[in-house]
Amino acid sequence: MRALDLRNVRFRYRGSEAAALDNVSLEVEKGEFVTLLGSNGSGKSTICMLSNGLIPHALPGDLQGKTEIFGFDVKEHSVAEFSTKVGIVFQEPESQLFCMSVEEEVAFGPENLAVPREELRERVEWALELVGMKGYNDRSPFSLSGGQKQRVAIAAALSMRPAMLVLDEPAYALDPVGRVELYQVLIELKEQHGMTVLLAECDSEEAAKYSDKVALMKDGRVVSFGKPRDVLGDPERLRSLGIMPPQVSEVSALLKERLDGSYFSFISVDEAERSINEMFTNRKRGSKP
Amino acid sequence: MTAFIDLYTESGTFLHRMDPRVKIVAVATLSLLALIMSHLVYLLVLTAVMVVLILLGRASFQKTMLAFSYVFRVMALIVVLWPIFNPGGTPVLFELGPIRITEPGIMAGIATAVRIFCLAASWYLLMFTTSQRDLVCGLVKMGLRFDFGLSLAMALRFLPTFSAIVESIKDAQRARGMELDKGNLRKRARDYVAVLVPTIITALKMADMLSLALQSRAYGARSDRTYVRELKMLAGDYVALSIAVAVFAIPATAKYIFSIPL
Amino acid sequence: MIPRVPPSANQDKIISVHGVKFVYNGGVQALAGIDIDIRRGDYLAIVGGNGSGKTTLAKNMNGLLRPTNGSVTINGVSTSEQTVAELAKVIGYAFQNPDHQLFCSSVVEEVRFGPLNLGYPEAEVAKKTEMSIEAMGLSSVKDQPPFSLTLGERRRVSIASVMAMDPQVFILDEPTTGLDARETDDLMEGVDRLNLDGRTVVLITHDMKLVAKHAKRVVVMSEGRIVLDSDPRGVFTDLELLLRSKLIPPPVAQLAHRLSSLGVPRDVISPEELVFHLMSGRGALE
Repeated sequence: MRALDLRNVRFRYRGSEAAALDNVSLEVEKGEFVTLLGSNGSGKSTICMLSNGLIPHALPGDLQGKTEIFGFDVKEHSVAEFSTKVGIVFQEPESQLFCMSVEEEVAFGPENLAVPREELRERVEWALELVGMKGYNDRSPFSLSGGQKQRVAIAAALSMRPAMLVLDEPAYALDPVGRVELYQVLIELKEQHGMTVLLAECDSEEAAKYSDKVALMKDGRVVSFGKPRDVLGDPERLRSLGIMPPQVSEVSALLKERLDGSYFSFISVDEAERSINEMFTNRKRGSKP
Repeated sequence: MTAFIDLYTESGTFLHRMDPRVKIVAVATLSLLALIMSHLVYLLVLTAVMVVLILLGRASFQKTMLAFSYVFRVMALIVVLWPIFNPGGTPVLFELGPIRITEPGIMAGIATAVRIFCLAASWYLLMFTTSQRDLVCGLVKMGLRFDFGLSLAMALRFLPTFSAIVESIKDAQRARGMELDKGNLRKRARDYVAVLVPTIITALKMADMLSLALQSRAYGARSDRTYVRELKMLAGDYVALSIAVAVFAIPATAKYIFSIPL
Repeated sequence: MIPRVPPSANQDKIISVHGVKFVYNGGVQALAGIDIDIRRGDYLAIVGGNGSGKTTLAKNMNGLLRPTNGSVTINGVSTSEQTVAELAKVIGYAFQNPDHQLFCSSVVEEVRFGPLNLGYPEAEVAKKTEMSIEAMGLSSVKDQPPFSLTLGERRRVSIASVMAMDPQVFILDEPTTGLDARETDDLMEGVDRLNLDGRTVVLITHDMKLVAKHAKRVVVMSEGRIVLDSDPRGVFTDLELLLRSKLIPPPVAQLAHRLSSLGVPRDVISPEELVFHLMSGRGALE
């Protein structure tokens, strides 16, 4: 059973003429870290909203094709039912924290499900610890930094004990440090807790470093889907799709152009360092008389 | 703007630690007490009690004076105007044409002013010793429907956010040459459109997002719900509650049932 | 750290900041003593993490905030003697969130708002409006309401409305946040052109890739102070300083540092440069 299974999905928002999703097929396996990359309007946000049932229940429109979340058809179950399987975090930190304290925010979800108080407390502590915000229980959301707010938003989703976390451009409003902290939390969730992570992004640097799979999207279609190495190695192509390529991939592309026999394609700084050093050693050996 | 709502100053006094429900009841009983008493002496006693409580709560002098600045103005106005509009009774102290100032008139004016002080003081006591969180929690546990409690909580939580957003919008428009404090009424009204429209649009967008967030966390999934915060009434709270009720019940009985003049 | 001041210090100073300290109402000190001169035609990026004071500094330049200590002079006149509206004639400030600015029913009206406020005659206003709309590539949407446009378009409307006021200095607060690659390129093309036309550009950002590509001078701020004032090369030479200032150096710069043993210098700021050095460094790749 997959975490998310989309087959030939078409979706048009009510009142809109253009298709937000145009024949999309996508599979997210349990425990995978998948990044959706695309320009604004490519459909990545739409897939996020589909992943927990907001589409079609809260955001009405014309939905066709098969969409299954952990085996459940999205049309046949409510957002509330999916809320214990899928947690969602939006891009604007301010608009998703509405309680007067961090503790109440994180407890809000399970409170709605009448989880007993003892367990509520446990879940709150567990979620806050996971996101590195232990001890912030009594703080008001207004007093937190952007990065802290986003981590509280993640905790508020985690307290529902979902198996998949969906994030729609979560680092949008964050500074570089906030961004790094956010991704660290996500990696830990995936690696140490088996969480499936589905992320929508504009910038490919983190996708290259952390994702198991990357989907490139344009105009509501999935143009490419596979391992980061296979999908992110061509900076020209990424740019034509409106996606900022990993900067080091531009280095590998230039090397391919200018150097005969350069076949390396790297997308992260570590890979680049290794490959280039290797290239040098080989060349040195090669040029010895 | 938030100064009017966020009078809470953190402290460890017994008033701060008191269960918010008791304090809410106390505000009601003390206010009612102030309203039913008409004899100045008793009102002054009540005033003294209020002042003592405010002191015991270790309220900041500056903040208190700020909060009461309007109250004092209203009180002064009443003391001056009340006798003019209530010329009945004897002895008459001053007469000039239609204006007649009598001693009962002056006393009634002072009594009303003091009454206003007591009402304001009881509210102030509640507000500066109770955090917004506790206040809403108390109201909900006392029977306020959770939906209303959540709306109230959200309104309070977003006040500082919106204050900041409005400031940011004003800054942005000022940087485009708009001068908000100059010009005639018509110009100013047009200027405020430049602040109001972005504010409303931003608010609507946030409301949209919030609605999705609420639904994603199963809001409304069930008719019952639990609360992570609990309010426990301790012995001291029960004592305080009894006092709060007695403080009203006894004089009320005395006045209305036994017709003792208060 | 001794800041390296870029050459051509003979150009006239348009903004001078002397010993500026700024404390917010709640007692938070956002600026702990800033001295900086911005020259006409500079293309400057002020970078730093949250809380570094970069936005506070920018707002002290256009009068939205007044220094607690020290002074800011614009074209030789202290800001204390000018209102925000007067300063708006010289210093244009485009805010990070365009939705905090847009309120008109069409792009044209929106762009006209600024110059109208500044009291320009109608003919001037119309001319400047048209120029800005074209310069920002908005001609095709000029009669649409700004709210119906995409984020990238709304940002450009916001910048166009500042452009139409014809200021000498443009302060752009995080102009590329939330924009995809194409929108970023379009926007920055327009900004680069502004500088080519002789305007002074001040970018406030934490995107170091953007800075490396466009800015000619970089001022790094941390905790209310300027910790480095140099051209991009000078800044990327010191990666530790960037990290301490809560900034992430671009991947290419990180890579260059790691490959220094192969003859790659530490001040590489673009992929092309890196490849060039790899190809010519020690001849090992030829």
